[in-house]
Amino acid sequence: MIKKGLVFLLTVNCYLLIVVAAYAATPTPVDKIQEIRDQLITNIASRVAQLKLVEKRGIIGVVNDVTNTQISVADLQNNTRFVDVDELTKFSNPAFKGIFGISDITKDSTIGILGLYNKESRRILARFVHVVTTPFIIHGGVAAIDSESFSLSITTEEGKQMTVDIENITRTFSYTPDEGYIRSGFSKIKENYNIIVSGALDIKDESRMTATRVIFFPQIPVSPKVNSALERAHKPK
Amino acid sequence: MKTEKLILSFIATALGLLVAGIAFYLFQATKTITPTNTKTVSFATPTPTPIPSIFLTIDRPKDEEVVNSKVLVISGKTASNAVVVVITETSEDVIEPAENGDFSTTVSLTDGQNILEIISIAPNGESIRIKKTVTYSLEEF
Repeated sequence: MIKKGLVFLLTVNCYLLIVVAAYAATPTPVDKIQEIRDQLITNIASRVAQLKLVEKRGIIGVVNDVTNTQISVADLQNNTRFVDVDELTKFSNPAFKGIFGISDITKDSTIGILGLYNKESRRILARFVHVVTTPFIIHGGVAAIDSESFSLSITTEEGKQMTVDIENITRTFSYTPDEGYIRSGFSKIKENYNIIVSGALDIKDESRMTATRVIFFPQIPVSPKVNSALERAHKPK
Repeated sequence: MKTEKLILSFIATALGLLVAGIAFYLFQATKTITPTNTKTVSFATPTPTPIPSIFLTIDRPKDEEVVNSKVLVISGKTASNAVVVVITETSEDVIEPAENGDFSTTVSLTDGQNILEIISIAPNGESIRIKKTVTYSLEEF
C-alpha cells in the first residue's frame, strides 16, 4: 500500500514539474515585447560600436613596403602602420604629371594618407594617398659659424652634427623675453646660441640642410645634452 | 565479507599513501645541494634615467586628427618659465605660457596633411618636442 502511494506521489510530482517547466517556457506577450526590446538594444549598441570603431584619420609616413593592396609605412613616431588600399583609393603626386597609381609609390618615399582608421584592427583603409615633402626641423646649439659660405654648424640634442646653409630665402628670427619675437639676421647669430632650424634636407648629404627659417634664443643656454655632445665631439681620441 | 574486504583495501591504500608521503617528506628534508650545483643569479641595478626639468602636454589637437577648418587651435601645458615654439610648414610662433603653464595659439593649416612641431624650451636649455599630424580636408567618405 505504502509502495503504491509512493509511486503515485512520484508520478504526480513529475507531472507537476513538466507542467511548471512548460508554463515557464511559453512566452507571454510581455516576454515578446521584452525580447524585441532587448534585440533592438543589442542591434543599436552593435551599430554604435561599429560607428565608433571607425574614424577618419590622416597620417604621414615613410614607405617601408608596397603591394597591390597594402602599404606599410613608418609614421612620425617610427611605428609601423598598415594601410589597406582598394579601388576607391585615389593617389596623387604634385611632382608627377599624368596618372599616378600605387605602382608609382616607391620605398622610402614620404606619403600622406587620409582614410578610415579601424580601432580594432589598427589598420587604415586609405581613401587618399599623396606623396608629400615634409620640413626637416632641428634643435640644438651653434657649434661654429662660417661667415664666408653663410653656413652654420649645429649640434643637436641627439649628438648629430648638421651643416645648415643660409640662403636668400631664409628668414631669421630671434626671441628674448624683453624684445619678444623679432626679425633678425645671420650676422646676429653667435656660437653656443640655442637655435631651431627648419628647412629641407640635402638629398645627397644627410648631414646638410638648407634653412628656410631660423629661430635663435640669445638668452637661453644650449641644452646640457648638446653641451655633452659638443664635449664628446671635441674630445681628442 | 564483501564490506570487510572493501574497508580493508581502503585502509591499505590510505596507509600506503601515508607511508609514501612520509618517505618523500623525509627525502626532501634531508637532501643537501652541493655548491657546484648551485647557480648565483645577480640582477644589475638599472641606471636611473635622469628626469628632465621640463614637461609638455598637448590637449588640442589630437594626433592624426582630421579637421574641416583651416584655423587650428593648439593648446597645452608646460613649465610656466619655458618658451614654447610652434612650427608648421608655413608659419612659426613663439609663446610664453601663463603662470599655471597653460598655453594656446592658433595656426593656419594647408590642404592635406600638416606636421605641427611643438618645442618647449626650459630656461636651462633643456627642451622637449612633440610632433603631431593634423589633416585639413573637406572630403566626404
